[in-house]
Amino acid sequence: MEDVLTETVPAEDLKKFEKAYHEQLYKQDVTPKAQFEYAWCLVRSKYPADIKKGIFLLQELYRSHEEGQRDYLYYLAIGNARIKEYSKALSYVRSFLNIEPGNSQVIALESTIKKKMEKEGLVGMAVAGGFVLALGALVGLGMAIASKK
Amino acid sequence: MDDDILTTLKILIIGESGVGKSSLLLRFTEDNFDPEQTLTIGVDFKTKRLAIEGNTVKLAIWDTAGQERFRTLTPSYYRDAQGAILVYDVCNYSTFSKLETWLSELETYSTKRNIIKMIVANKIDMDNREVSREEGMHFAKKHKTLFIEASAKTKDGVQSAFEELVQKIIQTPDLWENYGPGSNFHLGNKEHPAQSNCSGYCNLA
Repeated sequence: MEDVLTETVPAEDLKKFEKAYHEQLYKQDVTPKAQFEYAWCLVRSKYPADIKKGIFLLQELYRSHEEGQRDYLYYLAIGNARIKEYSKALSYVRSFLNIEPGNSQVIALESTIKKKMEKEGLVGMAVAGGFVLALGALVGLGMAIASKK
Repeated sequence: MDDDILTTLKILIIGESGVGKSSLLLRFTEDNFDPEQTLTIGVDFKTKRLAIEGNTVKLAIWDTAGQERFRTLTPSYYRDAQGAILVYDVCNYSTFSKLETWLSELETYSTKRNIIKMIVANKIDMDNREVSREEGMHFAKKHKTLFIEASAKTKDGVQSAFEELVQKIIQTPDLWENYGPGSNFHLGNKEHPAQSNCSGYCNLA
């Protein structure tokens, strides 16, 4: 099932907000709103390159536009988690929780990120475990052949 | 495991800022209430299992921010939703008047034409009510939606709001029949990565 780290932006939305952003960029007058909307779409893309671009735009906003900082931190955490930059993602979560310690939405995001890390850790171990088993089988086979000789 | 789950349903919660959308969800999913509930950023997400008439369904609930600055993007979360909960605050008439806008927003952006709608009149525990029960019911009847009065704070009506909505969805098989358990088209079943290989489960019908 989809969650905040796996749902993806509809292509037409990404296109629409990309266009709006570029129109403003062309006039050299990008509003924080247009930049945020485009970045929000980008970090929900299925392509890591888009997500990275979204992260860049959000970092820029975070530095320049104080009013929306909590939103930017939240989506910086999501963007980084989606490209598996987990330690960065968690550091954004922590920055957020330093400002708003009880925010349940961000606490939930933190646990979603940690669960995802755990699962990937387990998958890694399963692969390593399979390798050890295969190696064991080979060694066993080798020994069986050797003992037949 | 998900084997005993009839289906997974996508539910939206929409409405003006501060009407109690996240509080209703928190009451429903965790039976909790936070008097200092913070403003939702963008869209929040929670899941909950619900047993209805002997069937268990899994609900994926998308709780949208009511604040104006998120408005342009929240509709992109509407796609494929089978149910929508529209919330207003009985102590704030303008949140009730805005329901028309929310309904037309749903009309415009939801991809399922027969999406089931439930209007929830929240905060009935408060004594400075501005919208009467009759007025709310009349509006819901006019727009052919379900209706319930509720209080996330006292629990009143919260469980029923979700149950009645889900019941109505289940009674409308068109909405969900192609979405059996395991048919997670998007990115596999995140909770059971070992089984997420879609080949055995994909509902091709």
